[in-house]
Amino acid sequence: MEGKFSEPVYILGSGCTRFGNLLETPEIKNLTLQELAAQAVKEALADAKTSPDEIDAFIIGNVTMQTSNLPATYSQLSKWIGMEMKAGVHIDAGCSTTNAGAAIAATSIASGVYKKVLVVGIESTLSRPYKLSPYERETIPTEEMWLWTDYCINQAYSVPQGYDIFPVYNGIVALGYCRKYGYSIEEFDRCMFELCKTRRMHASMNKKAINQERLEDEAKRMGFNDPYEFWKSPYNPYLAWPSRLRSAVVPADGASAMILSCKEGADEYDGMPIELKGFGISVGDLPWYAGDSTVQTYDVHSFKKAYDMAGIKPEDIDYLHVHDCSHITSVCVAELSGYLPEGKGIEYAKEGRLRFDGDRPMSTHGGRHAFGHAWAASAGSDTYEAMKQMRGIAGQRQIKSAPEICVLHTHGYGMISTVLVLKGGK
Amino acid sequence: MPESIVKNYYDNLKNGKLVGAKCKKCDGYTFPPTTACEHCGSMELEHKQFSGKGQLLFVTHGVAPPPNPRFFDLAPYAYGHVQLEEGIFVQGIITGIDIDPDNLQKLFEKGPMPVTQDIIEVEELPILAFKLV
Repeated sequence: MEGKFSEPVYILGSGCTRFGNLLETPEIKNLTLQELAAQAVKEALADAKTSPDEIDAFIIGNVTMQTSNLPATYSQLSKWIGMEMKAGVHIDAGCSTTNAGAAIAATSIASGVYKKVLVVGIESTLSRPYKLSPYERETIPTEEMWLWTDYCINQAYSVPQGYDIFPVYNGIVALGYCRKYGYSIEEFDRCMFELCKTRRMHASMNKKAINQERLEDEAKRMGFNDPYEFWKSPYNPYLAWPSRLRSAVVPADGASAMILSCKEGADEYDGMPIELKGFGISVGDLPWYAGDSTVQTYDVHSFKKAYDMAGIKPEDIDYLHVHDCSHITSVCVAELSGYLPEGKGIEYAKEGRLRFDGDRPMSTHGGRHAFGHAWAASAGSDTYEAMKQMRGIAGQRQIKSAPEICVLHTHGYGMISTVLVLKGGK
Repeated sequence: MPESIVKNYYDNLKNGKLVGAKCKKCDGYTFPPTTACEHCGSMELEHKQFSGKGQLLFVTHGVAPPPNPRFFDLAPYAYGHVQLEEGIFVQGIITGIDIDPDNLQKLFEKGPMPVTQDIIEVEELPILAFKLV
């Protein structure tokens, strides 16, 4: 396997809806999933200065069909996003869907088959069609959403025998980290508090985030002068001891989109095209780790493939996003990527070094906890944020020196580890 | 008539046996069993019975109500990461453990602890769980 693009590939534009609740959040309230997808695609096309007739193919994804009733998004969405008669396909790579889609789009462009490809992800995790209504939706219980989401997980053995994401992706990882590096549970808890503060602070500066309230303000609203007392209170229970509610995913509804192009399209583009320098994909089934629960082996492969393809080293990375629907797992992955030193990630979090104005910025849109997580759409939200940072238009949360090399990692349930290496600059 | 590997696994579990697979090519173990060796991909496999004994490396708990309605009456339950004495890693329900944070902290401080299989039946399905020895 050569492992290189034969021609360069660029992302010209991206779009992302506000992540929120289709039943409540003003910017997306009452929209159908068709309309939600169209909102993200319209923004991506405008950003790419591309009209629908210039798109050769589209790759569109959704994970929980039970909430969308859209197993065939290629046809069901085609009229809504101007893609009829194009080449189109529905994909599902869990929470890696749009980044896996970007990798597939890139290989088709680098091979010379297509010039421009649209990638879209849509998801509702909070509601489903009410009695098969074309536009009315009803809230779904959280456990039912997880039942459907866990259809991505080993259905022969793990799920029937009591699998639960919170111990497997949070509690056991946290305990492995503490034992491996000698942290006490109290030290761990304090660091997770500080990490949550950072993510919530980032989201407070992002009008597209599901939760724009800083942790300190939430604590005050709930009657706590000391936010750490709030953190340790029954309002923030253990989901899987020692991991708490506010170190985990916040499910959301949302859509994202991006336009990938060949060099010719990038040359014609008068904005800053973002080069997709490389990608790595690796999959695995449960258990996700062996004796060391801080290392998920497929991540070792996906990062190596992506770095080799892009010709970069960890020290070249200016901005890293890793899948962070579990804050401790995100720290472990960031350490594995080489962006954070082994065993120091939670201290970096405590010291504020992962903030947008720190020396190791991460998850500047707020991450899966504060920006929210809309399964198939979330990876696209990371790309959207990285492109804004590279172009220097991230507003209040702009990294001081606009990053040139960004690495984006996602865990698609469960698991497809996907890593993209993006290069901005002139 | 072909045999279902999955059904055989649960049938064996019901009889108190942990049966997985051993690769004829690389001697690696695959547990629970599938149609291919998880180490080399070979589809030439033979049955391998496991001891059901191992070390509990970490134990925490899950949420209630649980995602899978089968466990509605059992949740929230202790859930752990176990290394069987044959070297493979398994995750499952840990029976007989109080999931109060103080107790989980004590267990964490003890380090790895010996466990043995404790097969339980939940809504007529045998489930591989473990208990402290």
